[in-house]
Amino acid sequence: MTNPMKNMQQRAAAFQALDAKDKQRAVGESLINNAIYILLVIFVIYTYMRNHKFISVSSVVNIISLSAASMPIALGIGGCIVLTGTDLSAGRVVGLTAAISAALLQAADWGNKIFPNLPEVPIPVVIIAVIVVGGIVGVVNGFFVAKFQLHPFIVTLATQLIVYGVILMFYMANGNNGQPLSGLDKRFSDFVTGKWFAIPTGSGQSVTVPLYVLYAIIMVAVMWFIWNKTTFGKNMFAVGSNIEAANVSGVNVFKTTVLVHTLAGCMYGLTGFIESARIASNVANTGLNYECDAIAACVIGGVSFVGGTGKISGIVTGVLLLRIIFVALNFLSISGNMQYVIKGLIILIACSIDMRKYLVRK
Amino acid sequence: MKKFFALALSLMMAFSLVACGSGNTPAASAGSATGSAEGSAAVSDANVGVFYYSFSDTYISSVRTALDAQLEAAGLKYQDYDGNSNQTTQNEQIDTAITSGTTLLIVNLVTSGSSDSAAAIAEKAKTAGIPVIFFNRAVEEDGKEGTVLGAYDNIAFVGTDAPEAGHMQGQMIGQYVVDNYDAMDLNGDGKISYAMFKGDASNVEAIYRTQYGVEDANTIIEAAGKPALTYFDASNTDGFQLDLQGNWSAQAANEYMTTNLSQYTEANGNMIELIICNNDNMAEGCISALNAAGYNLGSGQDGKTIPVFGVDATDSAKQLIADGKMTGTIKQDADGMAEAITYLASNAAAGKDLMDSTDSYTKDTANNLNNKIFIAYQAYSG
Repeated sequence: MTNPMKNMQQRAAAFQALDAKDKQRAVGESLINNAIYILLVIFVIYTYMRNHKFISVSSVVNIISLSAASMPIALGIGGCIVLTGTDLSAGRVVGLTAAISAALLQAADWGNKIFPNLPEVPIPVVIIAVIVVGGIVGVVNGFFVAKFQLHPFIVTLATQLIVYGVILMFYMANGNNGQPLSGLDKRFSDFVTGKWFAIPTGSGQSVTVPLYVLYAIIMVAVMWFIWNKTTFGKNMFAVGSNIEAANVSGVNVFKTTVLVHTLAGCMYGLTGFIESARIASNVANTGLNYECDAIAACVIGGVSFVGGTGKISGIVTGVLLLRIIFVALNFLSISGNMQYVIKGLIILIACSIDMRKYLVRK
Repeated sequence: MKKFFALALSLMMAFSLVACGSGNTPAASAGSATGSAEGSAAVSDANVGVFYYSFSDTYISSVRTALDAQLEAAGLKYQDYDGNSNQTTQNEQIDTAITSGTTLLIVNLVTSGSSDSAAAIAEKAKTAGIPVIFFNRAVEEDGKEGTVLGAYDNIAFVGTDAPEAGHMQGQMIGQYVVDNYDAMDLNGDGKISYAMFKGDASNVEAIYRTQYGVEDANTIIEAAGKPALTYFDASNTDGFQLDLQGNWSAQAANEYMTTNLSQYTEANGNMIELIICNNDNMAEGCISALNAAGYNLGSGQDGKTIPVFGVDATDSAKQLIADGKMTGTIKQDADGMAEAITYLASNAAAGKDLMDSTDSYTKDTANNLNNKIFIAYQAYSG
């Protein structure tokens, strides 16, 4: 790993060595390349000017918590995008695993349990269950993508529909009649939304940071390790940037593709587990369109559909950015309709900047 | 095996309920109900197509369960279709069903309150010479009553009076606020600040509930000599927070509410003192957010309870009300709706007029529509 300080010094030195005209161009370039972050900073400052509470402990914790909730799915889908693919089934897998988590972890005294005779299930068993269920969908996705060279768009469109059908059947099962799955066991709620630590804000008040923020941080760390420090991660980037070259140089393309999708599926499973407790009311539409925000977060963060490029830090930034916009618009009391416009513009700008860098390099 | 028994048992129970609940439903008795649909199809050669706007809707799912059981008990062969929130899909399903020999359409319109969509379907039914029963979602715009239901023969509507849930919710809230005014006013400013969560921008039910949930409450509160409710965010001119995807979802409400709670707190003296939701799902999402902030933990627990109101009376909402985490909801009667639909369907199957001997039902007398049946809402607060 390069020392970031040293790196910066080197870049400063290189910049000093340029003549005036090149200096001007270099500044211009870096302004364009970082336009999205510059705009974000301006936006944050503007929001703060209009509503000072935007940068308060509770607000920042809220932004981080909201980001943490949508982090795992984005981390999972990022891998699929690195392979020049995508995953449309992500949201529905979240819905299915959320339903499974809730069904297995309903409080014993809840009046309308879907499985009334179910004994108390230990939480680790449920976590394994959601990882396995998510993983199975991932294996199916990966297998059809790798084996039959189908575009992931098609494969995951198909699995999305299949999973949705399963969700609908699940909610109708056992006389549940499509009723929401809620009334979660306190163990479950505490495990996910319980207090990690509290930040005192003076006068005896404090803001609690929920545990799922910790889980998101762990997942970010694990995924960073997998992407950057393992052979599998390196293979993933190799397959993503040039499938033929990877194949020739001895990378097992089939295995890598299946594994990337499986890992993604496992992450959706964990997202479902967390969402289930966070929202506390699960219906057939839980998870609907989650993949759109996750894909948006990835591409904003520089995970390119060109394939073979992307960083975990980029995904984290992308997720944070989307959440900051959501919260800021609420703090500004701007109608939600604008949120779509702004989101769309950001995706467009971010991806254009991204492609511009890529084209320049080429 | 165990599941099979559970299923069989619940089906039996559903049938027996039907038999008790609807004395005037022809054909079925608890005894014959155990026969399969095919077995008792000898009663008539009716072939009913039931078109739901979306299988994922909680309330519609309970209607579907009730209607499946009742149609079967009435000896009518039926098939369910999922419009998946897409009017085009539903129209295509109807076209296909008509070509495959469906003799009666039961339609839960996707585009709620659109007389154009409804007229298109009524036209299809007219061409095919078969009756159509619309249910649940409105088929005509407000103020244009009769443009569809009055223009065709062999057409009926079984649903709710769209504004009624909003009125009932508003009255329930108004009464509750008057009774608990001082306890609710957390910051002691003499006013109650409320948050409103709207399920869908264009759905007429959502629009009415959002409007009357507050207006009717204010009428009662002001009559009791108290100041009207104020929306918690003075700079939001809408006066509600909207599920942008139109899904009435717990997730949308939860994320709005956690964000609200990050700047509106008791410590800041601007805590939200009342929460009104268009449906129970959104109410549950709000309660989850409140729980995270240490509110609404249930009776017998520490912490304050912010009154939360919803509509639908889902099983989990009833449980939350029983636990003291939620305050009230408005019940939509799924069984009653299914019963009325089945009665009309049986009329059609028996070759009688669709509206034959239906005088016992509440009808839209205001607009003189004999073929528009209203199923009443009921207030539910435990």
